[in-house]
Amino acid sequence: MALNRKIAFINLTTGDIETKPIPIELRKKFLGGRGLDAWLLYNYTEKGCDPLGQDNTLIISGGVLTATCASATARTHIMAKSPLTGLLGSANMGGFFAPELAWAGFHHLVIKGKAEKPVYIYINNGKIEIRDAAALWGKSTTDTQWAIREELGDEEIKSCVIGQAGENLVRYANVMTGIKNAAGRSGMGCVMGSKNLKAVAVRGTTDVTIAHPMEALEFNKRFIDQITSAKVNQTQGTLGTPFIWGATNSWGGIRTRNFQYNQCEYADDIEPERIDEIAEETIGPHHMAGCYACQVHCRAQYKIPTGPYAGKYDEGPEYTSQGAFGGEPDCKNAETVLVGNHLVNQYGVDNLEIGSIISWAMELYEKGILTRKDTDGLDLNFGNDEALLEMVDRICFRKGWLGDVLADGGIPASEKIGKDSFDYLIQVKGMSNLHSDERATPALALNIATASRGSDHLRSRPAIDLYHLPEKVLRKIYSSPVPYDGPLSSEHTSYQGKAWQVFWQENCYMGVDCLGICKYHTVFLGATLPNFEDWSKVIYLNTGLELSPTEIWEIAERANMMERLFNLREGLTRNDLKKGDTLNHRYFDEPCRRGAPDVVGKTIDREKFKIMIDELYTHKGLDENGEPLAETLERLGLENEPTRLL
Amino acid sequence: MATDKNKLSGAETLRQTRTYGKVRCHNPSCMGRLQPASAAKQVQCPECGMEYRIAWVRPDFPRIRGPVWETNRKLAEASLSAKEGK
Repeated sequence: MALNRKIAFINLTTGDIETKPIPIELRKKFLGGRGLDAWLLYNYTEKGCDPLGQDNTLIISGGVLTATCASATARTHIMAKSPLTGLLGSANMGGFFAPELAWAGFHHLVIKGKAEKPVYIYINNGKIEIRDAAALWGKSTTDTQWAIREELGDEEIKSCVIGQAGENLVRYANVMTGIKNAAGRSGMGCVMGSKNLKAVAVRGTTDVTIAHPMEALEFNKRFIDQITSAKVNQTQGTLGTPFIWGATNSWGGIRTRNFQYNQCEYADDIEPERIDEIAEETIGPHHMAGCYACQVHCRAQYKIPTGPYAGKYDEGPEYTSQGAFGGEPDCKNAETVLVGNHLVNQYGVDNLEIGSIISWAMELYEKGILTRKDTDGLDLNFGNDEALLEMVDRICFRKGWLGDVLADGGIPASEKIGKDSFDYLIQVKGMSNLHSDERATPALALNIATASRGSDHLRSRPAIDLYHLPEKVLRKIYSSPVPYDGPLSSEHTSYQGKAWQVFWQENCYMGVDCLGICKYHTVFLGATLPNFEDWSKVIYLNTGLELSPTEIWEIAERANMMERLFNLREGLTRNDLKKGDTLNHRYFDEPCRRGAPDVVGKTIDREKFKIMIDELYTHKGLDENGEPLAETLERLGLENEPTRLL
Repeated sequence: MATDKNKLSGAETLRQTRTYGKVRCHNPSCMGRLQPASAAKQVQCPECGMEYRIAWVRPDFPRIRGPVWETNRKLAEASLSAKEGK
C-alpha cells in the first residue's frame, strides 16, 4: 500500500545506503512530500551548515498519494538548505519521476555527503546503487536522461538530473525531469552539483495497493469532473500557463524593465496565440501534453522556428518565461522567449531567477552602476535580445566577470558590484520575485514577503483575491475547515482580512505539497477546485488513513512551522532586508505608473503592511518578532524537535 | 471514516455558480461579467469603460487577449492625473 513506501538514507561520501519504513506516527504528523521533507531537513541538517558542503542534506520525495488512484499526483519535491538564500531551499516539479520512485518502493530519499567524482544513483525496485557518471558530466538535462536510458537499456527509466548550471554551481540551478519539468527555485540543482551527483534514475514496477479501490476510482470521477470543468483549467489545457499573462498585464500587474513599469504594451507579441503563429502546432487541445495522472494538460510543445537554434524542440514556455525573457528585460520578440526558455531548460537553471537578475543588471547598466568594462563590452541595454541570451550563457557557464558574479545570486552580486545596486534588487530573503507587481495587491505583497523559501508566488498567494468574489463566497472558502469570523474583503487593494487569506493559502498549498498533487488542482487560480474537505476523502480511500479536514489543516500548519523553525535557526529575522519578512523599498516608495484606474498611483502602505505582518504572525502563533510561542509549538507537537526519530 | 457520496464539498457547491460564454472585466475593482457577441473582436465594459480585445479559445469560449490600449491608457492617465492633483 501507499503507506509502506520507504525512506532511503544514502551517503555519497561513504557509499553507505540504509532503507527504513516511515513510522505511522510521522505520517500522521507530516503525511509525506514537502511536509515530511521539512521534518527531515530540520532533523538531519546541522545549524549553520555550508549549503555547498557535504553536511547539507538533499531530500527528494513524492507525496503520500503519489502513484495512487488520485489525480495529478505527479509532483516531485526537493529540499535542502539553499545555496541562494542560506535559508530553506525547496522546489517542486511535475512529470513522471515521483510515481516511478513510489513504484520502485520509495517515497523519500535523504542524500548526504559528497562523491569523490561525478556519480548518479540508480534505484530499481528497491535496489539502490551508486554509479559512475563521468560520461554524463557536461551534458544537458535532456541528453543526460537519454544517456542514462541508453546505458541501462531501459527507455522507461525516469530521472531527475542537473545540467551544466548545476555542475558549475550556479546558485539557482534547477533539478529537472523530462524536458521542462523544473524543481526550479532556491538552487536545488546547485546542491546536487556540489555533491557531484549528476542524476537520480529510477525504475519501478511494484504494486501500490489501494485501500478502497472501487470507491477511490468512483470518488476520483467527481474529482476529475471538478478539475476539468473549471474554466481556468480548460484555458490552461488549450494555451498553457501563458494565458495568465494578458489578464495580469491588462490591469497592470506585470513588472517590466526590472521594476520601473507595471505593464508592457507589446504583450500581444509574446502571448500564446502569437507563439502559435511562429512555432506551428504549439498550443491547442491537440498539442498539449500533461504530467502523470493529470487531466489539465497545460504543457505546450514547440520547435524554434528560425535562428541559431532553429528546429530545436522544447516544452512550454511557461508564464514565468514570458516575464523572464519578455517583460522584465523589455524584449518584445516571441522567439527570444522560446530560445531563452530552451536554454534554461537545457542548462537546468531557474528561468524566473535568471530573468530577474539579468533585468536587474540591465537597470544597473542603464543607471551607470555597471559599465561596458564590467560587461566585457556587451551592450546590456533593456530590449537587447542578443545581450539577454548571451548573459544566460555567461551565467550558466560562469563566463566573464559579470557572468560569474551574477551566477552567485542577487545579494552576493550586489555586494561585489557595490554602490547602491542592492536598492534596485527585487528580492525577498535573497530570492528574486516573480515578474508580477504586487504594489496594488496587499495580500499578494504579504505573500511574497513571508513565503518560507523567499519571494514566491506558490507558497501562500491568494490569487483569487483578484477576482472580486462576493464576501459570502470568500467566507465559504476561507472559513473551512477551521472557523473564521474575522474581516474578509472582496477589494484587492484592501488590507482587511488579507493576513487570514495568506495564512489559509499557506496551509492549503502545504496540504497539496504533502499529498504530491499539483496546485492547479486546488484553490490557486480557481475558486471552485478541491481543498481540505475533498482531500480527507481521497486520502482515506487511497491509503486508509483517516484524517478529518481539520486534521489535514493541522498537519499543514505543523509542516509550515517546521519550515519556519529551520529558517529561524538559520538566521531569519523579521525586518532584515536580506533574510527577513519584508520587501524592497520600491514597493513602498515608487507608485505604479500604468494599468487599471485603481492600480495607477498605488504603493504598499508601510504602516498597514506592518499591521498585516502582525496579524499573520498572530494567526500562525508567532510573537511580534516572528518566533513561535511556546504554546504554539506545544499545540502542534513540535516542542521537542529535533527528535531524530529515524 | 465513511464517505457520503451525495454530500457536496464547498468547492463543488461553488462550481454551480460558474458561467460560460462570458469574460470578466480585467479591472480588478470592477470584474464585471461581459458577454461578447459571437466571434466579436472587442468588448467594452459598461461599468468602468475599460475595453478589451477578444480571442476565442473555442467558438463558445471567449478570452480577453489584452486591452484596447488607446482606451485604457486614457483611463489610466486620467486616474493618475487626478491622484497626483494635476
